[in-house]
Amino acid sequence: MAVDVVGDTTGGGVSPLPHEARPYQGRHAGLVTRTVAAIIDSLVVGTALVAGYVGFAGFLFLLDPRNFTLPQSSLFLSIFMFGLVAEVYLTLSWWAGGRTYGYLVMGLRLLGRGGRSPRFLGSAVRAICCVFFPIGILWIPISRGNRSVQDVLLGTAVVYDWHPRASSHQRTTQY
Amino acid sequence: MPGLPQLPFLLPRRVPVLGPVLVSLLKGADQLVDVVIADVVRRVDVDAIAARLNVMAVLDRLDLTDIVLSRVDLQRVVREVLIRLDAETLSEVLVLVDVDAVAARLDVDAVAGRLDVDAVLDRLNLTSTVLDRVDLGVVVDAALSKVDLIGIAEQIIDGVDLPEIIRESTGTMASDTVRRGRMQGIEADEAVGRAVDRLLLRHTRRPAERTT
Repeated sequence: MAVDVVGDTTGGGVSPLPHEARPYQGRHAGLVTRTVAAIIDSLVVGTALVAGYVGFAGFLFLLDPRNFTLPQSSLFLSIFMFGLVAEVYLTLSWWAGGRTYGYLVMGLRLLGRGGRSPRFLGSAVRAICCVFFPIGILWIPISRGNRSVQDVLLGTAVVYDWHPRASSHQRTTQY
Repeated sequence: MPGLPQLPFLLPRRVPVLGPVLVSLLKGADQLVDVVIADVVRRVDVDAIAARLNVMAVLDRLDLTDIVLSRVDLQRVVREVLIRLDAETLSEVLVLVDVDAVAARLDVDAVAGRLDVDAVLDRLNLTSTVLDRVDLGVVVDAALSKVDLIGIAEQIIDGVDLPEIIRESTGTMASDTVRRGRMQGIEADEAVGRAVDRLLLRHTRRPAERTT
């Protein structure tokens, strides 16, 4: 899969994208790609939780090594912590660059209204919607515009965007 | 009698007897003079006289140039000369002519100004002439030696932002695995979309909606 940096000048510059990927840039992403990205993000959040748990356990071990036992956690607390970390992670990731790590791996980008970078508040609300109603993603294939329930409610869109950086009109961080 | 004066004969005619006699004598004398002159002329050796003539002295006293210019039809003479001039004679004449001197006096700029350069160029195959007679290697080397290739390369690199392209190419898209995974994801998205369209009995194709 060669990267052609010579022939394509669409967008006013030479594109490093593969030929086969160029037609899809800017199009709304489908269910499979976004699901894979969501799974990757879930793994990231889970890894962060495990890391936090290990770190917390290590901290307790340092405080009282003799009486150390692994901290116990209820299912509710685990789910709550997962949701909290996911909320913070998604909000900051979308607000900072329009993409989480899962989006980065799958070449996706979240766009706010009008194709601009998502605002902080919009990112936070969308993160809440995604955490509490993750099955909203299943609306994507039913929607003619490849939009999830969250996209329909908030006016956002998730597009294929293999460029590492946002285009110039998307770079302005909005609050 | 053209040689006799008229007035003296008027008087004798009015004199009786003697008048007619005098007239007759005068006529006879006149005829005699003609005969004598004719005889003298016949006897004179003109060639001998001409041979003794100092022609150069005579010519010195004459302005021949002025006489020729005023009395000779030069245009007619030149025209006749040119008509009778053949190629062989002309070449003999040209041998005598200092062509270099003529060329030195020639206003080449004026001649070139009247020249139809386009017509001349149309008759030439400049491409083949250049290919046959020009050492293109030398020309190219000379041209390149005067060109700041490094500067041009830097301008091109600045224009296409090559460092940015390299950064992008060696960044997230450098992994073939990632690219293949993304493309497979896109193809799976398309397949799922088509399958759902068939399930929902959508006959029109799903539009490629964009937000950029």
